[in-house]
Amino acid sequence: MTEPLLVLDNIKKNYGAIEALKGISFTIGKGEVVALLGDNGAGKSTLVKIISGGMEPSSGKMLFEGKPFLAKSPSEAKRAGIETVYQDLSLCTNVDVVANFFMGRELTKSWLGVPVLDEREMEAQVAQAMASAGTTIPSLRTKVEHLSGGQRQAIELNRFVHWGGKLVLLDEPFAALGVEQTRRGLEMIRHVASQGIGVVIITHIMQQAFQVADRIVVIRQGVVAGDVARENTSPDAVIAMITGESLTGAGSAG
Amino acid sequence: MTPTNRRALEFVLDNLVWFMLLAVLLVFSATIPHYFQIGIFANIVEQSSVLGVMAIGLALVIISGHMDLSVESVAALAAMATGILFCSAGIGMGLELSPAWLAVPVSLLASFAVGAAVGALNGYLVVKVKMSAFIVTLAAFIWVRGLVVAVSGGRSAQDLDPAIRWLGIQRLIGVPLTAWIAIACFIAFSFIMAKTRFGRHLIMIGGNEAAAFRAGIKVDRILMLAFVLAGATAALAGWLLAIRTSGATANLGVGMLFNAFAAVVIGGVSLKGGVGALPGVYAGVLLLSSINTAINLMGLPAHYTQVIHGLLVLAAVLLDTAKHSIRQRLA
Repeated sequence: MTEPLLVLDNIKKNYGAIEALKGISFTIGKGEVVALLGDNGAGKSTLVKIISGGMEPSSGKMLFEGKPFLAKSPSEAKRAGIETVYQDLSLCTNVDVVANFFMGRELTKSWLGVPVLDEREMEAQVAQAMASAGTTIPSLRTKVEHLSGGQRQAIELNRFVHWGGKLVLLDEPFAALGVEQTRRGLEMIRHVASQGIGVVIITHIMQQAFQVADRIVVIRQGVVAGDVARENTSPDAVIAMITGESLTGAGSAG
Repeated sequence: MTPTNRRALEFVLDNLVWFMLLAVLLVFSATIPHYFQIGIFANIVEQSSVLGVMAIGLALVIISGHMDLSVESVAALAAMATGILFCSAGIGMGLELSPAWLAVPVSLLASFAVGAAVGALNGYLVVKVKMSAFIVTLAAFIWVRGLVVAVSGGRSAQDLDPAIRWLGIQRLIGVPLTAWIAIACFIAFSFIMAKTRFGRHLIMIGGNEAAAFRAGIKVDRILMLAFVLAGATAALAGWLLAIRTSGATANLGVGMLFNAFAAVVIGGVSLKGGVGALPGVYAGVLLLSSINTAINLMGLPAHYTQVIHGLLVLAAVLLDTAKHSIRQRLA
């Protein structure tokens, strides 16, 4: 296994008397793509929120890059390099690609002491980032509302990489995409991971998980029901883990 | 469609209101006797100053995805403050300063203070207390007007200090200084919206507030500032109105809110937020006063202005929908 990026150690979350997470432990390595699977209500969303700062665990520890980590807000997680990419929640579709890329971090130059947006420099940087990721968008000055779902996702992921992201959580990234766009999206995820970035992808679609993931982690009723390397398992075995018919293949892939 | 054609079409769609203004001016010049005169055009620019400045603040708040119905009443309150301080007849106190020109900055600051205070209260209630901007500013529309009537006792102030009046009389290239103030405001705010981080953030908040917040933009602070600016520009509009009318009455500016809305919508600002630019709003204001002038010149009863303004707003919204569907087909 690669160097660990994020280690989850016995993470628990209670809502009053209800235990949503009953002690989750697994590890995400640098440059590793982990598919997080599980039925509705298994605790995937809760777990993702805890990692990305949307919620605090009731107990348990997290180690991020070897240091104890607990984000109290999404912006704190973001500063550490962890971000969730939600569909349509992180782009302003009424402005162009460049503006979205630099959202909240706009570059300025000084005009007689007045800070003015440095559009040319920003466009050049975006063009470079897009080119190095192999993403082609006809014009970086197109408003995002005119771009396809796949292109939007490419912008979000490239932006994340450009700003030094280390771990990205993708919640149902291909829910609204077509076949070709999904293929390109999966390719891009591999590309992102190849730069040493950890990727957690939450999906319901078994085929996608098997196409892109290095490891598959199954959560069922708040516990890890399976943590297996992709090549050591099969879709049928994973479905069995999700539904709880058996625990074949359970245990760390370590 | 080739990229060049597409860019040309986008350009036309983005600046549609300017083309409309040009078309309207051409048609009026060709069909209405005496319309084509420098004096008439200067008059159109002059007439646009008060409404134009008011429309700036309204446009800022609407672009940010909110609403400010209080601009008309805030303008009246600022005008009344100026009138009470510097008018020598009616309820005016006839304050005299030496040197006399000090009356200009003092009255302006008093107006700004009044406008910014109402704007800040509106902003606080919308941003911090999370009340609906529509309700908060509707309430302000009512209570601020009430305050104007209460403060003035329903009476008026006349004979504004000549030092201030001078701005409305002195002309530069045929247009009074007050109109130049409005033009300067449009240039300044167009620059702010297009070239600065504040403007960019305001547009992004109007497009997707959650995304802007997640990207670390200080949404609360920027929205607060937008409301304060709306109050301040409305106050400036009121100050200009006081100069124009050489005083203030309790019902000064009644009905301007709807004209300001019309100008903003005609100017291409979407009421959904996130869309629109200030040069367009200025064109919208100019369009409205071009039509007013035409109606005056033709000797039509003034009531028709309202009918035409109403139809224009409908046409603007229809156009907006049409533009949207054209854009979608382009994409």
